[in-house]
Amino acid sequence: MQLPVLNEAPAAKSGCSSSSCGTTENQMDALPDSIREKVQNHPCYSEDAHHYFARMHVAVAPACNIQCHYCNRKYDCSNESRPGVVSELLTPDQAVKKTMAVAATIPQMTVLGIAGPGDPLANPERTFETFRRLSEEAPDIKLCVSTNGLALPDAVEELSKHNIDHVTITINCVDPEIGAKIYPWIFWNNKRIKGKKAAKILIEQQQKGLEMLIAKGILVKVNSVMIPGINDQHLAEVSRVVKSKGAFLHNVMPLIAEAEHGTFFGVMGQREPTPDELQDLQDACSGDMNMMRHCRQCRADAVGLLGEDRGDEFTIDKIEEMEIDYQAAMEKRKVIHQAIQEEMDSKRLEKAHKAEQFKAEPKLATRPVLMAVATAGQGLINVHFGHAKEFLIYEASSEGVRFISHRKADQYCGGDSTCGDGESVLQQTVRALAGCEAVLCSKVGYEPWELLENAGIMPNGEHAMEPIEDAVMAVYKEMAAAGKLAAKPEALRAQG
Amino acid sequence: MAVKIIESCVNCFACEPVCPSKAIFESKPHFKVNPNKCTECEGDYPVFQCASICPIEGAILNALGEAINPPGSLTGIPPERMAEAMAELQSH
Repeated sequence: MQLPVLNEAPAAKSGCSSSSCGTTENQMDALPDSIREKVQNHPCYSEDAHHYFARMHVAVAPACNIQCHYCNRKYDCSNESRPGVVSELLTPDQAVKKTMAVAATIPQMTVLGIAGPGDPLANPERTFETFRRLSEEAPDIKLCVSTNGLALPDAVEELSKHNIDHVTITINCVDPEIGAKIYPWIFWNNKRIKGKKAAKILIEQQQKGLEMLIAKGILVKVNSVMIPGINDQHLAEVSRVVKSKGAFLHNVMPLIAEAEHGTFFGVMGQREPTPDELQDLQDACSGDMNMMRHCRQCRADAVGLLGEDRGDEFTIDKIEEMEIDYQAAMEKRKVIHQAIQEEMDSKRLEKAHKAEQFKAEPKLATRPVLMAVATAGQGLINVHFGHAKEFLIYEASSEGVRFISHRKADQYCGGDSTCGDGESVLQQTVRALAGCEAVLCSKVGYEPWELLENAGIMPNGEHAMEPIEDAVMAVYKEMAAAGKLAAKPEALRAQG
Repeated sequence: MAVKIIESCVNCFACEPVCPSKAIFESKPHFKVNPNKCTECEGDYPVFQCASICPIEGAILNALGEAINPPGSLTGIPPERMAEAMAELQSH
């Protein structure tokens, strides 16, 4: 999950409404106050918050009641970062200990999620025992859960008892024909059911669960996996349907499908979407719905800020040895959360002010440009090019600056047979930035400088420690002044 | 007559709660079936409950020692395609 994800819904196909795309505003501003209140310190639901607050998942839920073609239940690799992958399965007791240890060590951690590695609601005893204890013992931590939805209607009552105000449902389709190409089977009423019939039941349960959660006043985010040729054309419809039922945020994620993962899609050669295709679909959906663009598709045992994983510091062995005074930790956490909140509030005001100023300036007649940014949080350009594990991608245009996505700099590890050969990490990183015309970081070394320039990506280390949006706009204006941005219709792909 | 869980089990817990006879238990290195308790679901369900939720092909055998979920039956990946893909990966 990534930066300010909560882009306000653009009014037209331009992908930018006047109220949402200034340098200062973001998706959060489009939400009703009641919802903004609930998500403002949730790194997965608020792009703004994800620069400051951390999250963690506890892997207490191994069982699953369905099979998805992008998942392989055999997988456990510490070098892999993707949903469904974990290194250590925890008991509820270990999960509670781990959560409190992390909360005391990383006070910015505000959210505890249960996301697998199977389906949390297919493990109701382990999942609810963990929630029940954390509601009592660590009341300052927000709890959330994500599910495939099959068992959701039966769990809504129990979920509403545990202070869980956020639920994520993965909904890849609302059409059983399409569902049959994504879900080979479900376990339902004591039988394994396959094909369209299975997909129809799953879809009905998901939609029913969504409606029941909304009726209970629980916030619902919908995740969808974009699978080219299967549901890519269909997800705009999914977006419309779930929004009409009251989901507040839609997170369209790219399919991850490598043969070495052993998933159906990986082995059968189903391709992943390109960054351009993902952005076009997110833009197409954003006319109807708040779109989340900062999702990092993290592991079911991830710990830390989005984009980082500090899970190694909190293995079962290590947490057993930690002595945690949670009362003291809570007091410290409160002070730190308040300070972060104040900083975010003042930055939000400042952004709004700058957006007003930007609107008042003569409008540039320039084409949009994608830029990559290296950041370790706080909304600043504060990472060396060579140290960046990921880059945030922003689009600068005559409408302002908007967050688009993130790109990983270190490639997924495929195990011994594919590690360490082929192109260098540096070459891979430069390739991952394809489509960007500039990269902003606190410093760039000589070797990458040359490679970036040759790839048509302008390295820029002049805005170290500056706020991201300001720096991106400053570079954009320099490019405009240098005559590099004459509006060419064919260059306006993002304007659809 | 009893089913058997073998070493390809990934310890996902899915089968344990669905067993009508409470014959399945957590064990190292993987879950096991108590053959004295297993009824093959006879009298309770027309199909093996454990094998109906198990996600791993070949992990549960029937009394004849045959995989209840043979290769390709759950993932939909034809076994020859899987072998091809793995050979391709090995050659890198």
